[in-house]
Amino acid sequence: MSRYGPALVSVLLCVGAIAGYYAFLRVPAIRNHPALYLVAFAIAAVIAGAATWQAARWPNLAALGLSVVLLILGGYFNFVLARVPSSPVALRVGEPAPDFTLPDAAGAPVSLASFRDRTPVVLVFYRGYW
Amino acid sequence: MLTELGDEGVQILAISPDPNERSQELAQKLHARYRFLTDNDLAVTRSYGLLHAHGGHKGQDVARPTTVVIDRRGIVRWLQLADSIQVRPDPADVARAVRQLGS
Repeated sequence: MSRYGPALVSVLLCVGAIAGYYAFLRVPAIRNHPALYLVAFAIAAVIAGAATWQAARWPNLAALGLSVVLLILGGYFNFVLARVPSSPVALRVGEPAPDFTLPDAAGAPVSLASFRDRTPVVLVFYRGYW
Repeated sequence: MLTELGDEGVQILAISPDPNERSQELAQKLHARYRFLTDNDLAVTRSYGLLHAHGGHKGQDVARPTTVVIDRRGIVRWLQLADSIQVRPDPADVARAVRQLGS
């Protein structure tokens, strides 16, 4: 068993990184540093790689394969798929926010200007479900 | 999401191209005092420069995740633009920006 200790540690590190990321998705420090799981996959790959170097047996090779595949998939998602291209934004701190009118959930029109002199506004632009 | 901001005396306007019914369901699920506004054709999102063309999971246009704090005079006082879809502003940072507006 201890013979394959490093392979086990490598696999647990991979699984733990994924489970930990989703378990703490609501914690901003975890959510906003998704590259942390890539660090865990990289460490897992190094551990499994060293174990494979010493003994090229299937548990070590399997751990190496898993961690390398996760590192590649995670890196592709993190650095390619999840990237938002920067765009010329019409908002500057210290300048007025452009006014707009949009329907609310009941269909009633809501304009940004209607909150002027009444209350601060937080606008949250989000991706939505579709 | 910014459920922590409910008691800060601030109006939260959440904007997406989602149909109203979906947003209403989301609001009830979060017990949040949001007002969900539907930017059906993304015209407002586009006018703010926040369109992420083909950024949706089916290749449809979506908004670049963005949070904007606007004071009573209508001036932008705090702004965070996402450069990754995985990242959201820390609600504590938004709450701090709102408190710094004073009353």
